[in-house]
Amino acid sequence: MESKTSPLADVRVLELAGEVGSCAGKMFADLGADVIHIEPPQGDPARAYQPFYKDVPSTEGSLEYQYFNTNKRGMVLDITTEEGKEIFLKLVKTADILIENERPGCLDQLGLGYSQLSAVNPKLVHVAITPFGQDGPYKDFPQSDLVCMAMGGFLYLAGKDDEKPSRAYGDQAYMMGSLYAAMGSIIALYHAEATGEGQFLDVSMQESVSTALENAVQYYDLEGIIRRSLIGAEAGYGTYPCWDGYVFVMAAMGKNRYLWDPFVDWLIEDKIEGAEVLRGDEWLDPLYRRKEESVETFKKIVEPFLMNKDKLFLYEESQRRKCCVFPVSSPKDVYNNPQLQYRKFFKTMYHEALGGEIHYPGPAYDMTEMKWELSKPAPVFGQHTSEILQELGYTPDQIAVLVKGGVVVVKEDAA
Amino acid sequence: MSKKMPLDGIIVADFTWVGAGPIATRFLSEYGAKVIKIETKSKPEILRMTGPFKDGIPGVDRSGYFSNRNPNKQSISLNMKHPKARDVAARIIEKSDLVINNFRPGVMEKWKLGYEDVKKIKPDIIFVTMSMQGSSGPHSSYMGFGATLNALVGFNHLSGFPDQPPFGTGTNYSDHVAVPTHTIFALMAAFRHRNKTGKGQFIEIPQSEAAICMKPVAVMDYAVNGREQSRIGNRHLNAAPHGVYRTSGDKRWIGIAVYNDSEWESLKNVMGNPAWANDPKFATKEGRMANQDQLDSMIEKWTSGQDGHELMQKLAGSGVRAGMVLNAKDMLEDPQMQARGHWVYLDHPEIGVSAYNGCPVHMSKTPAQYKTAAPLLGQHTEEVMKEFLNMDDREYKQLEADQVFA
Repeated sequence: MESKTSPLADVRVLELAGEVGSCAGKMFADLGADVIHIEPPQGDPARAYQPFYKDVPSTEGSLEYQYFNTNKRGMVLDITTEEGKEIFLKLVKTADILIENERPGCLDQLGLGYSQLSAVNPKLVHVAITPFGQDGPYKDFPQSDLVCMAMGGFLYLAGKDDEKPSRAYGDQAYMMGSLYAAMGSIIALYHAEATGEGQFLDVSMQESVSTALENAVQYYDLEGIIRRSLIGAEAGYGTYPCWDGYVFVMAAMGKNRYLWDPFVDWLIEDKIEGAEVLRGDEWLDPLYRRKEESVETFKKIVEPFLMNKDKLFLYEESQRRKCCVFPVSSPKDVYNNPQLQYRKFFKTMYHEALGGEIHYPGPAYDMTEMKWELSKPAPVFGQHTSEILQELGYTPDQIAVLVKGGVVVVKEDAA
Repeated sequence: MSKKMPLDGIIVADFTWVGAGPIATRFLSEYGAKVIKIETKSKPEILRMTGPFKDGIPGVDRSGYFSNRNPNKQSISLNMKHPKARDVAARIIEKSDLVINNFRPGVMEKWKLGYEDVKKIKPDIIFVTMSMQGSSGPHSSYMGFGATLNALVGFNHLSGFPDQPPFGTGTNYSDHVAVPTHTIFALMAAFRHRNKTGKGQFIEIPQSEAAICMKPVAVMDYAVNGREQSRIGNRHLNAAPHGVYRTSGDKRWIGIAVYNDSEWESLKNVMGNPAWANDPKFATKEGRMANQDQLDSMIEKWTSGQDGHELMQKLAGSGVRAGMVLNAKDMLEDPQMQARGHWVYLDHPEIGVSAYNGCPVHMSKTPAQYKTAAPLLGQHTEEVMKEFLNMDDREYKQLEADQVFA
């Protein structure tokens, strides 16, 4: 463990971003980069988001803010003021990457667009995450996760037949934009380090979302079919109730027997009434399984079987029998999941301002040479403003003037 | 002369199949890497056998599902069950920078191509494995699919309407973005590390863990507050009204999201300031949050019967966050997607010209490149053997006769 290095320790990222880009910044920060989260004087909007630590609303207590800002340094800076711009440009000079999610043209108007920034730092990788990208007829449409999910084609798939679609948990359009921004900026960083050439990265959330449509676009393109979700529309593929909640049963798979047969064997072994019916060859035909009557028959046979068993038993026993029944995990189930617990996936870290521990998910990766770590909690409002200004050469007197002028906010007890 | 691309010179021995793996290596190919996809004709991968197919006619080289995930790549057919295949794979790996797979733990090891074996072939290799739940732990060998993984990691429980069973996203969501982008992120850090230190390494991306990182706030809420969040349909914990409302036409809806008072005022104006909306109980966010049932039903009354596209223009033009729920046909025809040049049309020997997603990251100096459509199964076997491995004709013919390329 000790021999592992922080692979991005020599990288500096400026993050002029709130809920949309914070995830990208976190990915750099958790691999050791110096990520400076720059907030406007009114604060990152995510600070106001529910749920809060111990349910007490406060500037520091938002769990969302806490999760996405681990390992970062925080600075409060009004970049719309002349002095603020000057400070920002000095920071840009020292940075490898800028992540921002301002409206298209907004930074240009402030004199802080890519052309100005690259003049100061030609190696800069400037990544902008916007709902629709920097150009095109919808570029000025206001931002929302729901809108990007809808306009990205993803929301339509979250329903079957004529049902109204329901949106994915957790602002996933923002997440997708942020992950593509992270991926793009590390590729562009690699290029900049090899060639000295920085560049501008224009990430559209609508386009990001459109990469998650499975085969829906190709279905229309090649077969003229506009598809929605198949979950629940086919016997043996979908969500069924069990004793302590729901499970996802995946017994149907094309014209394949390999998930279907062991599942039906299990029902028969359990002496489930009517299960023999499912032995018939007709069940291997997806079109037969999609008949309303088939969906109903399957449900009637399977429900009594599932209803006296719990999620975890069904999951583990199905695997033993080489079939596929997964728990529909609640947040509690996810937290207590035996596999994640075994792997010690969830980490805790003490947060001084909150006076307690926050539980975080761990890394998405295990690496033999590189260290992923949670070393410090999200910065409190203005925590590192003074520290960063001093690094840029500002004296305490100059900083006091900036504070007084409302250009920066310095956390009161952080000298 | 083509512009230098970020990953020029990077060579990938790509053992991935189906979803998250091929999507990840696709990104590498877009930014300049040479990706050699190792398949076998004796057991074509699942996606080659899964629709849609050109004109609805099945065939291993006709799947649009497969093609969208595999442009720019070369495909070789190598029957790993043949004793000589391992040697051919080793010769590819010897000249590669990255070996990547998304099999269940143990498959690469069975072929004597696990990390420990591969390190002996190429000491500074980067080896990436994207297993379902990681290679240690009681469920490490469990089989599963994107759709079941979404249930396992909590997306399903939290997505859907409160009075209905958990629906989820309706897709194999975690396959698409969470896992592949995390993979590329770690991998690029590893390339960088290798440039600095000369060292390769082993990277494991448990798909379940990458998926939970996509926004774990409900789990954190449980851990610290003991609360079990559940489905809230199209609502939002921090905005109201926030919903999807029926408009005119079949399966036509519009999404509208109001985050603050001024946006509410704008929405009221576009609605023509109806008397109901001026009820003081809707004047504050708290009031709107507390009266969402009524808000939703009144807004839907207003949207029903209106043309969604016109409504979206009117709302968005007035600063209200609003967007049509677009289907796949709409996506291909969407003026914004077209203006951005998102859809890439590539010509494939069997499928003809068809639509592929472009990369949502538009790089100003090194834009993603699309040179070739998805490969036919084994299309590049001879080319890779002779030109990349410098195999002479005699050896190639012999291996071919031995069914190594079957």
